[in-house]
Amino acid sequence: MSQKIHIRTASASSRVRPLATTEKSYKIFTPGEVVIKEANTNFVRGHGTYEENGDLKASVAGVKEQVNKLISVRPLKSRYNGQVGEVLVGRISEVQQKRWKVDTNSRLDSVLMLSSVNLPGGELRRRSVEDQHMMRQYLQEGDLISAEVQSIFSDGSLSLHTRSLRYGKLGQGLLIKVFPSLVKKSKIHFHNLPFGVSLILGNNGYIWISPPTDNTDDNVGGFVQNLEEVISKDIREAMGRVRNCILALAENKMMLFDTSIVFAYEESLKYSVAELLLPEAMVDVALLTQHRLSMLDDYEFE
Amino acid sequence: MSLCDAEKTFILHGVAENFRSDGRDREGYRPIEIETDIVQHAFGSARLRLANTDILVAVKIEVDTPLPERPFEGKIEFFVDCSANATPDFEGRGGETLAIELSNILASAYKSPKTFNLKKLCILKGKKCWKLYVDILILECGGNLFDAVSLAVKAALFNTKVPLIKSVNIDGDNVELDVSDNVFDCERLDVTNAPVMVTVCKIGDNCVVDPNLAEEQCSVGSIVVAISQEYFSTVTSIGIGSLHAQTLCSSLELGQKVGIRLNEALMDTLSHITSDQDFGFLK
Amino acid sequence: MPVDHKRINGPEESVPYELFARLSGLTSEKAFEQLYKAGKRSDGREFEEHRKIFLKNGAVSQAKGSAYIEMGQTKVIVSVFDPREIPNRSDYSLKGELYCEFKFAPFSCAKRRLHQQDNEEKQYSCIMKKALESAVCLHELPNFQVDIYALVMHNDGSALSAAITAAGVALVEAGVPMYDIITSVTVGIQQGVKLVDPDSLEEQMCQVQFLSEKYQDNNHGLLIISKLHTQEQLCQFYQNGYVSLEVLKSGLEVLSKTCEVIVPLVQKCLIKHITNGIKS
Repeated sequence: MSQKIHIRTASASSRVRPLATTEKSYKIFTPGEVVIKEANTNFVRGHGTYEENGDLKASVAGVKEQVNKLISVRPLKSRYNGQVGEVLVGRISEVQQKRWKVDTNSRLDSVLMLSSVNLPGGELRRRSVEDQHMMRQYLQEGDLISAEVQSIFSDGSLSLHTRSLRYGKLGQGLLIKVFPSLVKKSKIHFHNLPFGVSLILGNNGYIWISPPTDNTDDNVGGFVQNLEEVISKDIREAMGRVRNCILALAENKMMLFDTSIVFAYEESLKYSVAELLLPEAMVDVALLTQHRLSMLDDYEFE
Repeated sequence: MSLCDAEKTFILHGVAENFRSDGRDREGYRPIEIETDIVQHAFGSARLRLANTDILVAVKIEVDTPLPERPFEGKIEFFVDCSANATPDFEGRGGETLAIELSNILASAYKSPKTFNLKKLCILKGKKCWKLYVDILILECGGNLFDAVSLAVKAALFNTKVPLIKSVNIDGDNVELDVSDNVFDCERLDVTNAPVMVTVCKIGDNCVVDPNLAEEQCSVGSIVVAISQEYFSTVTSIGIGSLHAQTLCSSLELGQKVGIRLNEALMDTLSHITSDQDFGFLK
Repeated sequence: MPVDHKRINGPEESVPYELFARLSGLTSEKAFEQLYKAGKRSDGREFEEHRKIFLKNGAVSQAKGSAYIEMGQTKVIVSVFDPREIPNRSDYSLKGELYCEFKFAPFSCAKRRLHQQDNEEKQYSCIMKKALESAVCLHELPNFQVDIYALVMHNDGSALSAAITAAGVALVEAGVPMYDIITSVTVGIQQGVKLVDPDSLEEQMCQVQFLSEKYQDNNHGLLIISKLHTQEQLCQFYQNGYVSLEVLKSGLEVLSKTCEVIVPLVQKCLIKHITNGIKS
């Protein structure tokens, strides 16, 4: 029996989505609004703000963020602003002399230098001319990689490195894109979820879902893809469910981290994977997850 | 966006397994949202959203003279506008080829009198007839345009109200039409046989319907079938790529099967729409 | 519609006088009845028999490759011009492109055609492009565009098929690398009768639904396919009208078979052209 085709009527009332909101509410600034009056020398102007007549005003719609004297306004939707040490998922967009250009959802394409990858063979060695010629065989246009931000160039573009066995070319799996601001910053971005799915939550909003990786076997530099392997249906189903859960959470503007995804997965089990594409189911899963997370917060605070 | 081999393999195996990456089976459609009667100045309108594809269709009616070779028939014309709002690729003349392709397929699918009877639109033989202008606006383009457009057109035609003519006076060559004063006096069009289109995409050894953008990239060839009841009103291959005769036959079968179900689902939804529902952008 | 000031335009709309000549009075329905009773078509062909084809290449001396085809009264001339860089394009593309223009001459049909391409012609150009794209080795022509122009001088049905077959021949003559020989055939369907390579009257007959009681079968329409000969691949498929799955499938078989019949003819034409070239 094949799945039902859902055609529903949209009405004005259904267009207003019940948002899974938290108790905490933030002041949202709109462009031109004064963030800090008479800021003068007490504060430093950060992203998303500008100075006029001594006042600090917002130039985007979003929430205020303050680090010591640095004031910035962060919008919900933005391209990714990288910081050193963050984990990313990116797609190779161009192969150049001694470097790859990588699409990482930031304003400018990021750069992966040939000198900042572990070449097959493992041990560190000098990059020879042969390696330069072989670049396309390691990584070619369209390939996905996980990497870490090594440094930021003066023009704001990111320099990446994959000098850890964790990083490198990604194999079979699926990529989803969410707003970068929805990915919660944490120490760990590689997760092996309990239901047999591994996940890379890239800080840039690119999320990679793949079948479980066994960390035991040391993959050498990660330039091998296994195209022969056929992923079993169970794992495939879990992956599809994780995908739809993450999209449901993202649709309802909820933060993405391992706990919220595991909760959403557990709450979604009453639906089939395909049913999770329905807007009602997405809201339901998000609300239930929200509820469980808030209980967890209480527990932690007690 | 271009996918890497490993991603393509994943999709390919998924299709072979009959479990696609978002959990649908090969014949599964993503949820569709539809609303009708949302453009005040049109005689009928509909908006349809399928995943990220958003289509707005409005029908305008004018009085025209029938073609001399078809004096008993009215006219219907389709205009597709690929707005640059949808994707920057449509800017300038970018969307023109796609727009022509879409309107031609629609015209061809609605051509046969069995699918849409133009004789109903004739007012006076050889002198006066109604002409339907079906304007299709692509607001957002997220793949699977053909299916979405055909569903939206059918919904808009379903919603269309043709003014009622009380009397026709002929004075020499002049024809005077007396349209009913009451704006609510109107006729509905019969769209039970109007075709719905299904894009069948060959991925690996199997065929799928309603492909998303990633799946479209893995496809080796696709055809669009327009289904009216269980008959085919138009079949055409789209994009580069050729098919074996055997594959063509199996995709035709799949297209027919899904097309019938899609039509049932659409007609069911349309019949449940009541006039007091709170539709509209701001109504 | 923008007016073309470079040439003297004829009337925008014109009506063929035949419509007003009641004496012919041969409606599609009557014509079909005659045809069905006779078991033969008006020109003496069997239902599933193709018209005689005259195919000749090198018809246009200025073009890189060209072909002239006659199928009964239908006359089409196709010319292919040198590959040139894709105009108005800044980025490099790995694959080449085809540009097809299908045009009915103003005098080719019963109704006068305008100089500008109308929607039907644009659609036919699209179909032609699609069919030929799969036959040409586009990867061998990176960043190049090949222009193909088809002009129908007399339309007596199956003009598109004729143009595609001829375009294949013209491309070969132009030295454009091709995977295979491409042939195309049209079939008209009415009441379960399949008319291979219909003339314009038969095409018209297949576009309408008969109202009288004795015709219960709703099937009517046109099918056009283009086939790559050795690969056994259908590189283009188009159908309109109202046709059931079974009829569609059987129509496909008939078309495939007829395509095979044309192939030797195309091959012969190509060989003859080369041997002639060597002799002279």
